[in-house]
Amino acid sequence: MSTNRHPIEQEELMAYLDGELPMDRATETLSHVELCPECQTLAADFRGVSQELMAWEVESPEVGIPSAINVALGERLQKREAAQVSSPRLENRVLTSRWVWAGALAIVCVAVGLKLTLTSRNRSEDRSTAYPSMASIEQYLMPDRNAEIAMARSAAPEAISSDAKILVLGWRGYETAIEGKNGFVCVVERSWTSPFNSAQFWNPKVRGPVCFNPAAARSILPLTIKRTEMVLAGLSKAQMIDSIKAGFDNKELSAPEPGAMCYMMSRAGYLNDAVGHYIPHLMFYFPPTDKSSWGADLPDSPVTLNPQFQGGPEPITEFVVPVSKWSDGTAAPVM
Amino acid sequence: MTSDEALMLEFQGGSRAAFEELFARYRKQLYGFFGRRLNNPERAEDLAQETFLAVIRAASRYEPRASVRTYLYGIALKLLAAERRKFLTSGTFGQSASEPKTDGTPERVLWVRQAIEKVDAQEREILMLREYEQLSYSEIAELLRIPVNTVRSRLFRSRLALKNYLESGAKTNPALRASAGQPHPGKRGMQ
Repeated sequence: MSTNRHPIEQEELMAYLDGELPMDRATETLSHVELCPECQTLAADFRGVSQELMAWEVESPEVGIPSAINVALGERLQKREAAQVSSPRLENRVLTSRWVWAGALAIVCVAVGLKLTLTSRNRSEDRSTAYPSMASIEQYLMPDRNAEIAMARSAAPEAISSDAKILVLGWRGYETAIEGKNGFVCVVERSWTSPFNSAQFWNPKVRGPVCFNPAAARSILPLTIKRTEMVLAGLSKAQMIDSIKAGFDNKELSAPEPGAMCYMMSRAGYLNDAVGHYIPHLMFYFPPTDKSSWGADLPDSPVTLNPQFQGGPEPITEFVVPVSKWSDGTAAPVM
Repeated sequence: MTSDEALMLEFQGGSRAAFEELFARYRKQLYGFFGRRLNNPERAEDLAQETFLAVIRAASRYEPRASVRTYLYGIALKLLAAERRKFLTSGTFGQSASEPKTDGTPERVLWVRQAIEKVDAQEREILMLREYEQLSYSEIAELLRIPVNTVRSRLFRSRLALKNYLESGAKTNPALRASAGQPHPGKRGMQ
């Protein structure tokens, strides 16, 4: 491939596939590759090599923290404690208080969750079997890493997404494509973040660009990552539900942090077969909450209750508020 | 999700839970790092453990200038270099550590390992850091103390070389190529 015929070097093409080119150069590269069979072949070669290498998996033994590490850890923490002036009575009081609050919250969660579960049974749910099972993994992946990065960024206005961390879906789950600076995390979600009983759960066309604010990145994004890990590991829906429940029980997963929300303002997304890219909107996450407290689903209220987590294993309530513009500032259709 | 750097700072502040979280995030990755480079599961486990012990010992000196990921792999690379020196000194490295243990290893994995072994050593390290540890060009440059452009050019050469080695291996055993590229839906692999 000579540079006379190709505006990009072969090395640049490789860097493009690795997500290592600046945006302007990446755009130029993409435009060229789309029209150049020679570069498409080279790109396929690079991808092929990476794929072949994945055959070499190294299975780590499943062990807890080795005793030598535990001992060293204990010594270090002991030394640190000894060097500090602490107030154990105060710590105990805070701890006790936390347990009391956690217990109270759990009771409220169960009560409210039960109510919402019963309510959700009355909702009409499309149980058609257009996508009865998982498609091949390739169908859920986006072959063009930069396109996925761009789509993830399109979830929020540039002022937010340009400094956000970007995750892309790879063969092994979500991986960091670009580190962020502002605590936001943008990602293109796949169909398995739908309710477990949704007919769209395995729809390989779904691409849901979403940009989580820092509170949601800490408390909601782990759900997306966990579901994705379980899907790629081949777990059944029942196993996933059990694992999510266990995750909340053992504190691996946590309730939404105060202020957790996300942007879904992309015109490039495809949320399901019924709504396509839908309308630009914001979503707000809470521990199980009565929708009347937000006036959701009332006549002329712009707030709706999102069924994403209703009746599911995650004790979360999610409200949706539409906005009038796409992330690029253009006007959105009125619903 | 709490960042690695925030966890490291929490650990500095005395949080055992923060260390345990870091351990959970990186144990398999570090085991894989050593496992692929030493072909010796026992030593891989020992050195992964050594890496965490080094983190514990040096925790008070950690400064969040670099990512925890590069910090950990920096320690791992030093331990790997020491391990290799030790074996070179004793004259046994080539016999015991770098010779792949082939018992029960799938043919396709051996094919990949042998192809990687043929890549120039300097380029091989860059290739593996990129493909298996999934480090960015700048992270690799920082770890190996070379310019980013050098990382890119060596990575390019190594991938082309690897492609040729893989193809020549597949010519002698077409079954390898036939099975290549199939996804493993039931296995997530190393993380």
